[in-house]
Amino acid sequence: MNSSNQQAFELPKTIKTRSRFRNPIGKYRLNRTDACIQCGKCVETCPYGVHVMRRGRVLVENAYRCVGVDCDEPCHDMCPVGALSLRRNPDFDVMGDFRWPPDLLASTWYMAEFSAMPPKGLAYKTGNSGGGFDRLRIKFPASTVTSTASDGSDDGINVGIDLNRRDDNAHRVRIEMPFYGGGMSYGSVSITTMLSRIRAAAALGTFCCTGEGGYPDELKPYDDHVITQVATGLFGVREETIQRVKIVEFKYAQGAKPGLGGHLLGEKVTPGVARMREAVVGYPLFSPFPFHSVYSVEDHKKHVDWIKAINPEALVSVKVSTPTDVDMVAVGSYYAGAHIIHLDGSYGGTGAAPEIAKKNIAMPIEYALPKVHRFLTEEGVRDQVTVIASGGVRTPHDVAKIIALGADGVCTGTADLVALECIRCHNCESGRGCARGIATTDPELMELMDLDWGTQRIVNMFLAWRAELIRILKRLGMKDIKELVGRTDCLVHLDYREEVQSD
Amino acid sequence: MVQGLPSMVNDGLEAEGGCGVTGFACSIPVRGRHIFEPSKQMHNRGNGRGGGIAAMGFDPKMLGVSEEILREDYILQIAVLEDGVMDDLEARFIDPFFRVDFSERIPHVDDYRNIEGLDAQPPEVFRYFVRVRPEVLKAFMAENNLSGMAPRRAEDEFVYQNSFNINRTFYDATASQRAFVLSHGRNFFILKIVGYAEQVVQYYKLDNFKAHVWIAHQRYPTKGKVWHPGGAHPFIGLNEALVHNGDFANHHSVAEYLMQKHLYPQFLTDTEVSVLLFDLYSRTCGYPLEYVIEALAPTMERDFDELPADKQRLYRAIQAAHIHGSPDGPWFFIIARNDTRHDRLQLIGITDTSMLRPQVFALHDGQVQVGLVCSEKQAIDATLKSLSAEDPRVGDVADRYWNARGGSHTDGGSFIFNLDKSPDQPLERRLTCTDKFGNEITAPAGQSPYLPGRVYYLVEGDDKDRFDISEFFNLQRPDRLYAYIRDGIEMWDYADLMDCLKQIRGWARSGDAHFEVALSALTLLMDRRYPTCDKKRRSILQMVNHTVETILRHFPSLAREDVKSTYRLVDWETRQFFRAPAYQEKVLIIDASLFPPEGDHCDSRLLAEAFFRGWRRFIVFGLKGQRFHGCGLGPDSGGVQIDIYGSSGDYMGSGMDGLSIHVHGDAQDQLGQIMKSGKMVVHGDVGQTFMYGAKGGEVYVMGNAAGRPLINAVGRPRVVINGTCLDYLGESFMAGDPHDGGGFVVLNGMGFDDQGKVHPLPSPYPGSNLFSLASGGAIYVRDPHEMVEEQQLNGGEIVPMEEKDWTLILPYLKENERLFDISIEDDLLVVNGESRSPIGVYRKVRPRQKTAGLEKDGLEEWVDE
Repeated sequence: MNSSNQQAFELPKTIKTRSRFRNPIGKYRLNRTDACIQCGKCVETCPYGVHVMRRGRVLVENAYRCVGVDCDEPCHDMCPVGALSLRRNPDFDVMGDFRWPPDLLASTWYMAEFSAMPPKGLAYKTGNSGGGFDRLRIKFPASTVTSTASDGSDDGINVGIDLNRRDDNAHRVRIEMPFYGGGMSYGSVSITTMLSRIRAAAALGTFCCTGEGGYPDELKPYDDHVITQVATGLFGVREETIQRVKIVEFKYAQGAKPGLGGHLLGEKVTPGVARMREAVVGYPLFSPFPFHSVYSVEDHKKHVDWIKAINPEALVSVKVSTPTDVDMVAVGSYYAGAHIIHLDGSYGGTGAAPEIAKKNIAMPIEYALPKVHRFLTEEGVRDQVTVIASGGVRTPHDVAKIIALGADGVCTGTADLVALECIRCHNCESGRGCARGIATTDPELMELMDLDWGTQRIVNMFLAWRAELIRILKRLGMKDIKELVGRTDCLVHLDYREEVQSD
Repeated sequence: MVQGLPSMVNDGLEAEGGCGVTGFACSIPVRGRHIFEPSKQMHNRGNGRGGGIAAMGFDPKMLGVSEEILREDYILQIAVLEDGVMDDLEARFIDPFFRVDFSERIPHVDDYRNIEGLDAQPPEVFRYFVRVRPEVLKAFMAENNLSGMAPRRAEDEFVYQNSFNINRTFYDATASQRAFVLSHGRNFFILKIVGYAEQVVQYYKLDNFKAHVWIAHQRYPTKGKVWHPGGAHPFIGLNEALVHNGDFANHHSVAEYLMQKHLYPQFLTDTEVSVLLFDLYSRTCGYPLEYVIEALAPTMERDFDELPADKQRLYRAIQAAHIHGSPDGPWFFIIARNDTRHDRLQLIGITDTSMLRPQVFALHDGQVQVGLVCSEKQAIDATLKSLSAEDPRVGDVADRYWNARGGSHTDGGSFIFNLDKSPDQPLERRLTCTDKFGNEITAPAGQSPYLPGRVYYLVEGDDKDRFDISEFFNLQRPDRLYAYIRDGIEMWDYADLMDCLKQIRGWARSGDAHFEVALSALTLLMDRRYPTCDKKRRSILQMVNHTVETILRHFPSLAREDVKSTYRLVDWETRQFFRAPAYQEKVLIIDASLFPPEGDHCDSRLLAEAFFRGWRRFIVFGLKGQRFHGCGLGPDSGGVQIDIYGSSGDYMGSGMDGLSIHVHGDAQDQLGQIMKSGKMVVHGDVGQTFMYGAKGGEVYVMGNAAGRPLINAVGRPRVVINGTCLDYLGESFMAGDPHDGGGFVVLNGMGFDDQGKVHPLPSPYPGSNLFSLASGGAIYVRDPHEMVEEQQLNGGEIVPMEEKDWTLILPYLKENERLFDISIEDDLLVVNGESRSPIGVYRKVRPRQKTAGLEKDGLEEWVDE
């Protein structure tokens, strides 16, 4: 029953996986005039494969790979006849938002295609939100600044973490990289999206959460990599679903809208969703804001005991937002028997959470995490519980920052969708759903995406994340991701910056 | 006095988790050991980081003082956390102000480590019987312009302020803690430690110490490595001790409200704030208890509208003045109060307006009267059992059990047990119980209890043929055996009944077939309501329970290889011999009495394990609140049947998918959560959040459901509730179309009178919220007088019954009739003595029909595959 991951874990292969759209969105556009003499110089020069020669004709086939002004040998300078001109793609700049600026979207797409950090041209480490992780930088020791690109080798650096640190009968679960997929329910995303994420998690030796909308049968082959969510609406939660998995997550609150329940609009309650949740087609579904059976910590303990009664070997994760007394919540959860405390900060969420909730309730995660980490350490129980943070994790750099703030690992969400070519248009909740076929239950829109493609894109992205994390650890002179936990001294906040070497 | 205090409210609130609370009031003083068992039963509601008890109403001899001193003096009790502070404290706060009539350092066991599980040194406690010196009081009254006030009230205030000063000097919740005042009221004291409540009793040697009222609290604090007893409950006003389960959301604003009245909390918990409110209203404002309760838990919504006009006027004024001090959020208070003005001891339970915490009240009447209130019913049962073991005049079943409906016009969400002096017996008091409005709750009149060992002795062998019951066993007719006893009860006395039960016990041991007849008949005696004539139902239940337990314990354990039996017993001692059923072994009887309530070694885990090994029929008995029965069996549990006897626990059948559970008695909270399929029958009431998120199943409840039944239920749950619910029935109900495989609830609104006859309740559904935000399913209410009204609905509508509705629910009502003997023809369809057609008796509540047009927005294109 234990040690499912004891045998050497083998990382999945990277397979280049191109965009599913004919013209992927890039930062730049290259214009070629009729003056072109088809000499092929640009094809030779461009290190990024932007230009291709096909049947004697030169074409700009991969404009999205162009690094533009960052290029050392720009093709438009090399062109003997001056037929090439570069300009910024106006479509590019209308994508995304401050938290996910177009550069981050494009670099994530790059990772999902090539499984590597983008070479140049894209700011792939932070967004433009002006706060949160975007004002934090990792502080590297000056002496070790050597390579900037990953050389691909692990050098024996461990980035896997154990999720069960209690000395109990539950599964000994290890994940091979310090992140797993956060909950997105059936209904809020398509079954293809859900399966892509879970299959990727299985390949990567980690987990992915079902969210609250039930546990579709299609997920059955991947049971060992599924976290099933028990949320306040209890939709789709059955004894069977709890018994199938190794990790059960209680969702008490969502960082994006703490203190508010869930609400699935009537339009999204299609026959498929209604069947999964056993509700009525076309009617909105409400998740109450609290668990009506849990109004205090002894109720919570009873609730955890209940899950353990149904599945004695399950790990219990408790997902909470970050109220000001989050440290108390964390330690209370620990004493109630939780294995994982999952703090969900407010930077995440799709377009559905009300702005007023996102901006005004609860603490920012970068304040909550050190508070919890310190409190659990003082309490003497920090090493018996896994702390997972989530909410707006976009890059491997965010992962490193969060871990340095005191988490053991993180939970991803939107990043997975971006790997599937989400453009952050914030229209998840409206009409028939996502124009890109990701967050939809519409059968036609769902056809926009292929399962193998989706799986590989996410695998690629996370492999790139992993390699980048290893690079970061190397530069910090660390051998294990555990060494980074709580090392706030490895961070610098730009608001309080002194002269430091930062990345 | 308040100079130098922080002007801001200190928000460093100790995170107060929830907790377990229990209390009882008894007409005679009883020993401290009786608070021991119920406290232990609620271990899992605390974490051993804070426990406390209050005892009220003493025998003066036990304290070494005269009756007059006990009555008139304040008992100032001080906990010392740092050695050597008492000299200073006495010199500054006791000697100058008080006449000390008696003082002592209260005894305790020598070494706290001798008490198992206690790992923090409890404080030394000093007790002083004091009166304020007349000259000091005079000066105090002059100084504070209190000259017109009754001296006793001024003295109360002086004692109160002096304790505040002691705490201010010796106790700082965030810094050094040297000593603090545990209690200072009259005729009661408080003790608290870092540990469990029952360890207080052990450590301070209260096992044999007698008091009329005991309350206890198991705390579940979540903050801080260094716990201190000051943070444990109970907390004090002046003459009241309060324990609290819950955590309110507006601590800050309540604390500010208190500050406006110059009251400054010192212990940083919301419990202290609560009792300060209580003391403010009762002592300073001089409100009668009803007003105090209204100020704490205001009557809201429709309940307010239902009040008589004069009450509305009064309550509106109270709310206008005090709504900002009203605790908001989940809370439940148990208060022990010495109403010195009326020389009356009180045990009070108050629940919040939204009924967010579990609570159970019980009344036991007889030669010894007991009123009980606690978080979970098994604590009541444990108290009674403990009392009963010492004093046979106390039975181990109460006459009545009930829940309060918070902030309601029906009971006000509060019940009060009063203990008044009896003129002739110095150590006996008379117990009465009222609700907030003063309506009295009494045990059924004209019935006498069974008093074992006093009148009834039996001659062995003499009773062989007194009862002609052999044919029932030979013909396998438990129903006729049941009817025989039921009808016999009228003529027999308790001795006869005892003999009869004894004879049945003999039969039960003479083979499995006979046992089955006996068990079925005895179970019917527990489950059904029937006239008990001059006997108390609780006494009959007590006798039947004991008989059943004796019979069940008789079966061979799994360890024994030498006997063959269809029935096998497993208990805590023999659990390691646990194995799959051998040939012909069919039923596993689990004696749960010694199993822990949850965790790897609890009996429900054992039951699940037994299921996986092939057992299919289970009888569980001797329960003391053990949880999770029927959980963990998974989706292939069709054909499994579990019979539950005793005080069953929370989360029973939560997740059940196929099996059937019969609860012979009341059930508790969180029953049938996420239930998928199967059948559950409860021969009693069910607790909070019954069938939350359920997806299906067939459930029959003989009595009432507490707050929030069937919230967020989907799929096809089909439920018959014969009583009513506290409130919030079917909120966000999403169970499709009942005529197309969806779910529904039949709410009969019926009760049983004291002679077991079915009668309609005053209102089938008194709550303010019915079927709110529901999008599917229906509720069928037996409501011939059309008392359910639109105002109670939020998103629902009332429509007349149709023939097809009746056809739909009829089979369930027939099964209901079979299970509970609640007749469709003679009970449900009879209104004011006349038979009516079902269409005129039942009404249907369904979601308001969705507006036309929703179909047009493209939904019809979506093909369900």
